[in-house]
Amino acid sequence: MLRLLNIDLKKIVNYRTFWVLLTLYSILIISIPTSVMEFLKWLKVKGANFEGFDPLKIPVLYFPDIWQNITYVFAFLKIVLAIVVIISVSNEFSYKTIRQNVIDGLNRLEFIGSKLSTILMLSLYSTLLVFITGLITGLIYSPNYDFADIFTGIEFVFAYFIDVLLYLLFAFLLTVLIKRSGLTIALLVIYLPLEYIITAYLPDSIQYIGAYFPMHAMNNLIEFPFPKYVFQEIQDYVSIESIIVATLYIAAIPWAIYEKLKRSDL
Amino acid sequence: MDTVLSIKNLTKKYGRITAVNDLSLEIKKGTIFGLLGPNGSGKTTTLGVILDVINHTSGEYQWFGETPSKEHRKKIGAILETPIFYPYLSAIDNLKIVANIKQVSTDNIDNVLQQVDLFERRNDKFKTYSLGMKQRLSIASALLCNPTVMILDEPTNGLDPQGIAEIRNLIIEIAKDGKTIILASHLLDEVQKVCSHFAVLKKGKMIYTGLVEDVSKGEETVEVSAEEENIEELLKNYKGIKSVKPDHNKWIISLHDGHNSKTLNTYLIANDVVVSHLVSQKKSLEKQFLEVLAASDQ
Repeated sequence: MLRLLNIDLKKIVNYRTFWVLLTLYSILIISIPTSVMEFLKWLKVKGANFEGFDPLKIPVLYFPDIWQNITYVFAFLKIVLAIVVIISVSNEFSYKTIRQNVIDGLNRLEFIGSKLSTILMLSLYSTLLVFITGLITGLIYSPNYDFADIFTGIEFVFAYFIDVLLYLLFAFLLTVLIKRSGLTIALLVIYLPLEYIITAYLPDSIQYIGAYFPMHAMNNLIEFPFPKYVFQEIQDYVSIESIIVATLYIAAIPWAIYEKLKRSDL
Repeated sequence: MDTVLSIKNLTKKYGRITAVNDLSLEIKKGTIFGLLGPNGSGKTTTLGVILDVINHTSGEYQWFGETPSKEHRKKIGAILETPIFYPYLSAIDNLKIVANIKQVSTDNIDNVLQQVDLFERRNDKFKTYSLGMKQRLSIASALLCNPTVMILDEPTNGLDPQGIAEIRNLIIEIAKDGKTIILASHLLDEVQKVCSHFAVLKKGKMIYTGLVEDVSKGEETVEVSAEEENIEELLKNYKGIKSVKPDHNKWIISLHDGHNSKTLNTYLIANDVVVSHLVSQKKSLEKQFLEVLAASDQ
């Protein structure tokens, strides 16, 4: 597996687009919590009226709320990593290098393995970045907390990892099917609303299967947290069922990619 | 094990089109095998199948008498059609990927780049290379694992005459090391100069296979011109003559076995004729190839 990772890394470490996207992504992640706090401070300075309520007292970035809040928001940025994956895979088809890789002695399974190891690495990097950003942000802004509070809700970071991993695998599968980067990115973007439209129109008798569609499976991992600040009830935990559904997808997608590549002439 | 590659009844269909039709072939160790055929005759498809990038419809093939696997491909240096590399990477970085895939040391990279005369440009990106340089890099890549078998598909495609000569000399050099080479080409002159065996494909079927040296064995053609008036009659009276045809101010003569330009010249001198032009020609692969193709049409 390390050899396969090494092969794929050699392909991307000298690729400018990869670094541009990865830097952009990292800056976005690091800057968002700071911007949020600065924005709240600015609101306060400007004397925005929250019916006498200090906006800085809203505990969005306090332990333990912070984990669900930032993982929910950061999950929207995974599209940037998906673009990295799409470009890395579609290049192999447009340059025909997948063909030369196989001629040189990589089999299709190993080719998939090399891409999977990069995807895994990107997901781990993203998770680590989110964890560290969350930790530092929480430590800076939480007014008072118990040590135990810091890691309360840390399962959202794990759910975030599953979420990103599944999304990147989904992008990998789409690219293997479509092969062209622009078209794949466009389809990935419109797929989310498309899935929600389709599931909305499912007949009542099978309405429940909507929750098992891939985007639903991802979005069910981390539920929308913010209504709780207007005193509505939210799901403030990661459901075991959502983890199981997402894990099944994570196992099924590489298999689907292999079945597709096995039958393809390169 | 003497047989490097054996193909048995290989067939590849693309929908209704049969690209390779019941092809059987055996290539022995140390041969330089020329695969000839017009465009679209199934050469590249056949090579694609034995390199596992194209799935075949039926039949089978074996490398070194074993069921083919990625381990065999690691020991084969192969290029198919155009040179394929990551355009944004340098020659060195591209070859590092190949070395990593083939699980061979990267120590050989400088060596193979020198062999194809690309060492000076080793740090330049692949996309800045000319076509000739790209072709040479792909040969360097094929040489990287010090392969026992090389597969070269149209290695001189798109090159200028100098580039063609360079690649040809490179192939001859490589062949001296006792490597088995499979060379697909439609440049027959190339194949005749380089190969020991050849096969002709047409519409996915193998229509001929044999030794290159046998091609030139057959009958000899001699061109003669002389100023004497009675030259035609003299030529027709020669006992080894098969046919005499006038061609501008020359005579084109076919001879029976056992007769050649030397015996003919001796005969003419004995009859007080001194020729002003005497050329002996053996049959070329090109002629043989065209004959084989024409015969298959009937």
